[in-house]
Amino acid sequence: MSERSFAESDSGLAGLVAIGGLALVWETVGRLGISLFVPPLSGVVVVWWGLLTDGTLLGAARSSLLSLVKGFVPAACLGVALGLAMGRFRTVRLFFDGYVNTLMSAPLSALVPVLIALFGIRDTVVAATVFMFSFFVIVVNTVTGVRGTERSLIEMARMFGAGEIGLFRRIYLPSALPAVLLGLRLGAVQAVKGMVVGEMLISLIGLGERLIYYGNTFLITHLYAVILSVLLIAVLTSGAAQALDRALVRWK
Amino acid sequence: MDIAARGVSRRFGSVQALAEVTLAIRSGEFVTLIGPSGCGKTTLLKIIGGLVAADTGEILIGGRRVAGPGRERSMVFQDFALLPWATVKRNVEFGLLLAGVGREEREAAALRYIAKVGLAGFEDAYPGQLSGGMQQRVGLARALAVNPAILLMDEPFASIDEQTRRLFQDDLLALWSDERKTVVFVTHSMEEAIYLSDRVIVLSPRPGRVHEVLDVALPRPRDAADVRASVEFTRLVDGLWKILRKLQ
Repeated sequence: MSERSFAESDSGLAGLVAIGGLALVWETVGRLGISLFVPPLSGVVVVWWGLLTDGTLLGAARSSLLSLVKGFVPAACLGVALGLAMGRFRTVRLFFDGYVNTLMSAPLSALVPVLIALFGIRDTVVAATVFMFSFFVIVVNTVTGVRGTERSLIEMARMFGAGEIGLFRRIYLPSALPAVLLGLRLGAVQAVKGMVVGEMLISLIGLGERLIYYGNTFLITHLYAVILSVLLIAVLTSGAAQALDRALVRWK
Repeated sequence: MDIAARGVSRRFGSVQALAEVTLAIRSGEFVTLIGPSGCGKTTLLKIIGGLVAADTGEILIGGRRVAGPGRERSMVFQDFALLPWATVKRNVEFGLLLAGVGREEREAAALRYIAKVGLAGFEDAYPGQLSGGMQQRVGLARALAVNPAILLMDEPFASIDEQTRRLFQDDLLALWSDERKTVVFVTHSMEEAIYLSDRVIVLSPRPGRVHEVLDVALPRPRDAADVRASVEFTRLVDGLWKILRKLQ
């Protein structure tokens, strides 16, 4: 136990060193003024703080996060539900397997113009993009979790008289939980990608609009400040999912 | 409760696992099923348990035909089949939970049987924190907690080391003489079969049939009588080996 926590704090330290190193190199290269496209990190942080306090970032982030939630929550609920059904029932699995596997590896950004045609240039498109990006990985992981249930656990529960509902609630569901939570974590990361892609393609709202605007107007320092904000959202989302994982799967 | 198999056959695809198996097990008897791999002993145990259906023939428990699992039968599994996400106590309670027994009664029974199998103090441990032998003790406590008349054991000690296994065998016999269950025990080990049983049923492979039935007239309790050191024990194990060798 103590060895493991030592190793973990060790890797945490290594991560800090890596990030600190990168920050140092970035700052140095920026100060040398080699390229317009590499402003010093300190400048980026100052601009970031300015954008945060004048409300630009918060306004954009509010719109972005709203789309993230509107897309991810339905993706999580429907994804887990479909995954459970596919994992448990062969016919459901055979019916959906092809679609799910194809769409999971398809370049889904290509479908965003279709969504724009469908919904118009609105935040609904961003939410739909978020949904599309996160749904399939959640489904696939849930299916894997259900199908990975130990046969002997099923026999054991049947031996004690468990029916279909008992099996589902007492065996399949808790057995699939770690894989479901992994799916939600990967799904959340995908959702942030979907959010940025959607907003950049419609270039009208949220952090994605700011990315395009600062990029097109060569406000490179501002651009980096927004990129950092997006990264921060991604890290926080993933961290929240990981915390949920740790709280629910204590036995591992 | 007594068990009777009448002309039980079962086929898996092109493999005839069991063919016309007929046998009778008396109430309170300790019977072992042994035979080479592929003789269908685990299949027969699962048919008695009601987990697998027979193609033809029938199993009678206390004179009533088996149509599926039932409260009077419990099973102990080779790989323990413990819920990894539940504590020892919750695992032992599991059968009672599915039977709809109330929380207090469940907990009381669980604590009693955890103590009976020698795991007092480990109630809140998770299976992953226990050794194989201890995990199987949880499996046994869980099977006993529902107070079944019949205990079905599918190679329960197969993945437990020899020293732990010997201790466990004596504990199992002590529990059995305490509770007087009918036990059907599947094993690969000839010593184990002779040491534990009243009778050893030898099955022949492909298709599985009852080949021979051995009576084991060794005194009980067997640990106190130092049965393993007796000439009779050695003679019985040797006799069983001679039968099994011909079936390989």
